Amino acid sequence: MRQGLRFMVQIALLWAIYQLGNWLAELSHLPVPGNVLGMLILFLLLLTGVVQIHWIEEGADFLLKHLAFFFIPIAVGLMQWIGLFRLSGAQLLLSIVMGTAVCVVVMNSVTGLLVRLCATKGGV
Amino acid sequence: MNLLLVLLTMSVTLGAYVFSRFINKRYPNPFLNVVFLSTALIIAVFWFSGITVSQYQDARNILTYLLGPATVALAIPLYRNQEILGRNILPVLGGIVVGTTANIVTTVWVAEFLGLDKLIVTSLVPKSVTVPIAVSVSGILNGDPTLTSVFVIVTGMIGTFLTPFLLNLLKVRNPLVRGLAYGTTAHGQGTASALAEGMVQGSMSGVAMGIAAIYMSIAAPFLVHHVLSL
Repeated sequence: MRQGLRFMVQIALLWAIYQLGNWLAELSHLPVPGNVLGMLILFLLLLTGVVQIHWIEEGADFLLKHLAFFFIPIAVGLMQWIGLFRLSGAQLLLSIVMGTAVCVVVMNSVTGLLVRLCATKGGV
Repeated sequence: MNLLLVLLTMSVTLGAYVFSRFINKRYPNPFLNVVFLSTALIIAVFWFSGITVSQYQDARNILTYLLGPATVALAIPLYRNQEILGRNILPVLGGIVVGTTANIVTTVWVAEFLGLDKLIVTSLVPKSVTVPIAVSVSGILNGDPTLTSVFVIVTGMIGTFLTPFLLNLLKVRNPLVRGLAYGTTAHGQGTASALAEGMVQGSMSGVAMGIAAIYMSIAAPFLVHHVLSL
């Protein structure tokens, strides 16, 4: 019971930071979504020690562990677009596959190169 | 809002998720991906019971809303891995920035070459980052947010097959590089796979999906208007 309450409070805190992010995004007219601002705010609060990690750890880990769950209702929305996929499914898949493949190949070269560069400079 | 219908469709969603997780743990196979399997199950249940997508809308809105706090929670892996992150800040940022840019540009070029509509091409731009951010950016770019959310899920499904396949083909063993590739190409769905591979891969994937989302939300409007002239 107490565990459950703790859990609810932690998720409520994450929700409050999310709302703060939304509010700041609206106020500042930045082209950055509120949830991204919320994430940055929480990161800064953790770095500065205003928020202690154990205040939110369990709730946050639970949400992240079941992150896949929140995608399912959206994926069910595929039903609505079945016509589009029937019409241009191959083109869509090819665009996504090419983008993903180029991303992996390019990232591997760039990250690998930079890791080696930093290592020779005495880093890592 | 029909409360009974909301409860019923939510239970179906939860049931499909729990069942798919069980199957996925028992028979680890990329084709038995949790999101993919759950979605197929739910569509089948709705098909047989005559529930329509519009009747599912309320449950869907409630569950999707929770993605907001879940995105904020991504600050936790970022904070936990600040040391690895700090030591490798240049490779991490460089890889994500170049990779994400290459991803957007390639996708748009291929989609335009294949003759897809402008609205569809625009909606494809934010496809590689987590849903709540992709949807917001899609709105800013004048894309169709619901279409984008579907593309994000499809991208996640493709990434969970394709990214490890390519990494193995390229003989990439560095867990940092592997994790970054998972998170940059397949957001949360990729992070779930990366976590199954190892802790460093998982946390780097979480870091990558966070940074890729931030970079994409800043870069996409610029790329779309000035480079790709959509």
